[in-house]
Amino acid sequence: MAAISKPPASFAITPHKLSICVLVQVYAPPSQISIPFPFSSVSHHNRLGVFLLSLTKACDGIFEPTLDELIAQLREVAGLLNHWLSDHLTRRLSSLASPDDLFNFGILGGSDANVMDDDQIMLDPNSIIGMFIRRCLLAFNQMSFEGICHLLTNIGTYCKESISGYPPYELSHLDDSTNDPNPSFEFENMEMDNFVYENVSEDFEESKMGIGRSPSQGHAPKDFPELVEDTSISPRPTLEHNDMNAEVYPGALSSSDMSKDMGALGGTFLYTSWQVQGYLSEQAVAIEKHGSSFPLNAFESILKKLQQLAPELHRVHYLRYLNSLYHDDYPGALENLHRYFDYSAGTEGVECVSPPSGCSSFGRYEIALLCLGMMHFHLGHPKQALEVLTEAVRVSQQYSDDTCLAYTLAAISNLLAEIGVSKTSGIIGSSCWPVAGIGTSLSVQQQLFVLLRRSLKRAESLKLKRLVASIHLEIAKYDIMHVQRPLLSFGPKASMKLRTHPASVYKELWSSSHLINEFGEESSLMTTDGAFCTAWLRSLKKPTASLIFAQENDTESCSDAFEFIAQPSSIPGSVLQLLGSSYLVRASSWEMYGSAPLARINALVFATCFADSSSLSDAALAYSKLIQHLAVYKGYKDAFAAMRIAEKKFMCVSRSRILLVKLQVLHECALHRGHLKLAQQFCDELGVLASCVSGVDMELKTEASLRHARTLLSANQYSQAAAVAHSLFCTCYKFNLQVKNATVLLLLAEIYKRSGNAVLGIPYALACISFCQSFNLDLLKASATLTLAELWLSLGSNHAKKALALLHSSFPVLLGHGGLELRSRAFITEAKCYLADPSFSVSDSPEMVLEPLRQASEELQLLEYNELAAEAFYLMAIVYNKLGQLDEREEAASSFRKHITAFENPEDMDDSVYGML
Amino acid sequence: MGIEQDPSKHTPSHTRFQRGSSSIRRPHRRAAESSATPSGGVSYVSTPSMVGPEEYDYDPIDTDFYLLAKSYFDCREYRRAAHVLRDQTGKKAVFLRCYALYLAGEKRKEEEMIELEGPLGKSDALNRELVSLERELSTLRKNGTIDPFGLYIYGLVLKEKGNENLARSVLVESVNIYPWNWSAWSELQALCTTIEALNSLNINNHWMKDFFLASAYQELRMHNESLAKYEYLQGTFTFSNYIQAQIAKAQYNLREFEQVEVIFEELLRNDPYRIEDMDMYSNVLYAKECFSALSYLAHRVFLTDKYRPESCCIVGNYYSLKGQHEKSVMYFRRALKLNKNYLSAWTLMGHEYVEMKNTSAAVDAYRRAVDINPCDYRAWYGLGQAYEMMGMPFYALHYFKKSVFLQPNDSRLWIAMAQCFETEQLHMLEEAIKCYKRAVNCNDREAIALHQLAKLHCELGQTEEAAFYYKKDLERMEAEEREGPNMVEALMFLAQHCKTQKKFDEAEVYCTRLLDYTGPEKETAKSLLRGIRYARDVVEHFPP
Repeated sequence: MAAISKPPASFAITPHKLSICVLVQVYAPPSQISIPFPFSSVSHHNRLGVFLLSLTKACDGIFEPTLDELIAQLREVAGLLNHWLSDHLTRRLSSLASPDDLFNFGILGGSDANVMDDDQIMLDPNSIIGMFIRRCLLAFNQMSFEGICHLLTNIGTYCKESISGYPPYELSHLDDSTNDPNPSFEFENMEMDNFVYENVSEDFEESKMGIGRSPSQGHAPKDFPELVEDTSISPRPTLEHNDMNAEVYPGALSSSDMSKDMGALGGTFLYTSWQVQGYLSEQAVAIEKHGSSFPLNAFESILKKLQQLAPELHRVHYLRYLNSLYHDDYPGALENLHRYFDYSAGTEGVECVSPPSGCSSFGRYEIALLCLGMMHFHLGHPKQALEVLTEAVRVSQQYSDDTCLAYTLAAISNLLAEIGVSKTSGIIGSSCWPVAGIGTSLSVQQQLFVLLRRSLKRAESLKLKRLVASIHLEIAKYDIMHVQRPLLSFGPKASMKLRTHPASVYKELWSSSHLINEFGEESSLMTTDGAFCTAWLRSLKKPTASLIFAQENDTESCSDAFEFIAQPSSIPGSVLQLLGSSYLVRASSWEMYGSAPLARINALVFATCFADSSSLSDAALAYSKLIQHLAVYKGYKDAFAAMRIAEKKFMCVSRSRILLVKLQVLHECALHRGHLKLAQQFCDELGVLASCVSGVDMELKTEASLRHARTLLSANQYSQAAAVAHSLFCTCYKFNLQVKNATVLLLLAEIYKRSGNAVLGIPYALACISFCQSFNLDLLKASATLTLAELWLSLGSNHAKKALALLHSSFPVLLGHGGLELRSRAFITEAKCYLADPSFSVSDSPEMVLEPLRQASEELQLLEYNELAAEAFYLMAIVYNKLGQLDEREEAASSFRKHITAFENPEDMDDSVYGML
Repeated sequence: MGIEQDPSKHTPSHTRFQRGSSSIRRPHRRAAESSATPSGGVSYVSTPSMVGPEEYDYDPIDTDFYLLAKSYFDCREYRRAAHVLRDQTGKKAVFLRCYALYLAGEKRKEEEMIELEGPLGKSDALNRELVSLERELSTLRKNGTIDPFGLYIYGLVLKEKGNENLARSVLVESVNIYPWNWSAWSELQALCTTIEALNSLNINNHWMKDFFLASAYQELRMHNESLAKYEYLQGTFTFSNYIQAQIAKAQYNLREFEQVEVIFEELLRNDPYRIEDMDMYSNVLYAKECFSALSYLAHRVFLTDKYRPESCCIVGNYYSLKGQHEKSVMYFRRALKLNKNYLSAWTLMGHEYVEMKNTSAAVDAYRRAVDINPCDYRAWYGLGQAYEMMGMPFYALHYFKKSVFLQPNDSRLWIAMAQCFETEQLHMLEEAIKCYKRAVNCNDREAIALHQLAKLHCELGQTEEAAFYYKKDLERMEAEEREGPNMVEALMFLAQHCKTQKKFDEAEVYCTRLLDYTGPEKETAKSLLRGIRYARDVVEHFPP
């Protein structure tokens, strides 16, 4: 801050850095031999080099390791040399007794400022390690006498800790055990924190193991706070840049009782700010990825410590904000967000500690608004979010911050897409609305459409590649879900041709994934490097820590593959995430257009290739898609087995997604087994999951009432079912959910069919078919055709031929893509058509009828759809009876009886499945 | 009066014993006095029959050592003093040694803070003596060979180490045995951040407790209670400058500026070289725009001691009043250099930056104030104001809400919030009306709220409410004998409103009052009058 500005002390020397210097001296002695003295082979030599490199760059925490830890790591690296090296190290360090010794200390000695003496070490001064040494030299030469005294004491502590090990002051802590909740400057608390830290550090580490694998800062395409960071520290710190402002925190204390984690009690030192930053951004990614499963309190205590040690590192507040946001702590998130932006003015990156009075700029508070908007959105306050984002648009226009504007527009469109078609007109109609130019007569979707195009254009012109890609994705999603009509032709005269455009969806998806070709120049050198080094160092720890990780389940097992993933050239995590979500969009588009295999393949691709780099909620979505697929195509047993796995995997995260699919599958299952009460219960629970705000969560709400209608239909309460379906139709119409309407129409046709009013049903079926045609919903169209055939058939046997023709026309889609239920229904209808056809005689070609019936009965048994299965067996029995094959007839009849009793007494069935609830 | 000196010392605790004679001896004298002091029928417990400090220091050698150490101590050679006393076991010697060690540690800490400060403002320098002091004092306490002063040091050390609960009980023990150690009381007060913590203390009844409670109430923003206590104490200690200053403080917080000014004038007559609390006086003078008085005060204070944060603050205020904001910022910065946690300087500096339109610096300054004391409603208000200036009214609302929450009885805050709601960007008039209503209830001095309420209701087409508030506003303006455009506007609206409501008599009254003014309103009033007469004729001739 301007008020108290101090000369930025650059890179300072700590005992840890001194030990690195000692090791470097060992690594590169002035001798001319290719393999210097203690090393046995080139690879041996190189290994130490890599180790040193990693030590200077790793960002695995906020504190520098203690001597003990360093020696432990050395043990892993140096193998046989371990003893020699650690002895050498401790000897060199403990030989320092007076300030003068430091001046005569190997590399640091020599009065010449920042020049490396060739007779001390042999190293390219521009290599990373060489640069490190030069920085140490420079820092040492700039040190005041006080600084040298401090360094000396610190070295003493550093060595003593590793020798004497444990506290001389235990007594003093015995009576301090009272733990005061007040979080102010309290050492007692700090100790408690340490305790917590120790306890939780295990699972923390565990989770970090997972995290370390994503070697870059991944940004969820949806999560703009992260994206914003890109803009807020847009000048990517290059190495040279960091040299200037890297900084260390020498601890000050003589008290040797606390080792590593006693930040405030000294003896420990923060890493360079570059490393701390790397650590923080890694954690930010982890929080976003793991959501609420991220250990809240453990991380909070680390942050608290960090804040005490570096009060001017405002990034900490941001991390605290993220942490509380993902644990749904509204006040905490709000408080920390405001604090972060008050301090940093949106211009942070530690790179900019220079007092704001120096840079006359206004500060970029619009980013604060953007973040606040995202926060409200995340916590489910769409109205506030919209209000805040509108303000963000205004402010960024006012200060012509185009980048922020682009992100804000994207955020708004995201918001509109998510909350869908809520009654936001009150806000949207207001004069300051960004799309006010078009007038308020547009529906929300049209506004969304305009907004998406606008932000796409802006993002393209600003070359924000990730944003462009994610907007493309967003547009693709929009194209899937919404029916377009020409924007400018309204009114009665305009042709009301509603269409969906699968081609454009795929065009968008393609341009989104095109991003992968361009990530090269954008990949962030900083974190990639840091993460690689971190991973490397961690792999050293592994053998010793293997006990902790032994119980890791198999889903995490790929953390062994860190070497593969931590390739320095690997794709940035954010890009991977975007790509992954494009596969998810693909999957849901195919789901919609009716190609089951393609949908499944895309979901599988996501689950196998991108699950590690994407957020858990996305992964949960993919899993839920796969589970649903299993339920429809393989029967419920498999689905439930898969669900158990998924539940274990997503134990506490994104519960709702898995819960949703569970309820859906359970509902289907109960419906098929005829367990209507339970079905209704599941359906109600599903409805409860939706938000109570009108217009929000429409997807879920329509789904719930659709299922409600189906349950009623199964209970033969036709009029109620029809009433529900009608009101659903109205809702869908009101909120412009045309695609959903096709399904509702089909349901209505079904209701009329079941209630015996075939004549009334036919128009609905036809309407549905025409809807499907224009929306490219192939599978739905096929099943509508099937219903139409059934309707015709029920009008009388003279329509059997027509029905059969209809049925056969859609057979390829039905059999190729339809689920078990649809297929068997088609088979049964086919058989019925043949049987009803007066010109068809069973005795001539029995297989024509028997074959489909057999197929149907097999699949229905798999599905446990008792009602339909009973029908199939009934028909079979009749046919066998006609043919005079009595044994088969008896068999079919007994099967029929089994299914019909099961259907009528659903409670008798095994309740194991329902025990899942 | 002996009492006034001790409590009035507000200086950091470690300077206390250096100034003049040690207070170890003084309280004893007072102890004798104090038995006579509470004469006004106050039922205080009698002075504790604790042995006077002299009673346990009879050993002549001990006394020599003690005197040597004391001299070193007075020369600020703390370690030397402690070293001299290393083998002494007298209670007084032990206390002096511990205190000297503590101060030596503090001194080293301050030095290290500067030596080790990095660009990210690391400040984890610690008093290294704490650990050993704590160990020693806790053993002494266990053995029961500790005196109240030792307990005080122990409490101090515990507080520094963050063990607040134990610190609290130790300090309570100390003040219960020996109530005249104001340093112990003020440490105790710093540990009572909530009213619950305060009430849970188990303190013997003694008049020092009243001083303590009054001061604690003030910290907890229970200004009326605090004022009552001080006024009660003033009955006993009639000539205490300290009490007078504290009363001024309470009055200031209740925004009774007139009284504050009177009190400070008297205070300065009695205690002309006083610097403490004078920044508050300067705030009052600033608010009343007394240029010369403020400059006089600044001059006087600067001659007394220019390196006190208060002095710098006063000069800063003066420059601010003169409109020289850069200079003013410079002095506030100096104040902050002297005391980094000087709350009001941060806030005032924020105000200056706002004046200079340097909003981001202002935001930063305010935020620091808020982080030092989250109850500083002025800083929250300033934050809101800064963001509103940047055209972010919705974002600003968060801060206004905070400030209003902390100070719900301040109409200015409510008005600021209402204006925020009223901005064209937000245009949330309903909410604005709610805020204005609160402002009216809080005795809005500038009378903005009533007028705005009327206008907003008018804008929303709620004419009845609008008329109600215009009438109230009119009454108020009449009562305060104010004139101006608001008056004309109110009269105009009321005249038209009454006419449409067919209250012709009332409308006529308003119109005739309007005729007193020049300008277009006069003409409108005339035509209104004509219209009224016509309408009245119609009503008379053709009764409904």
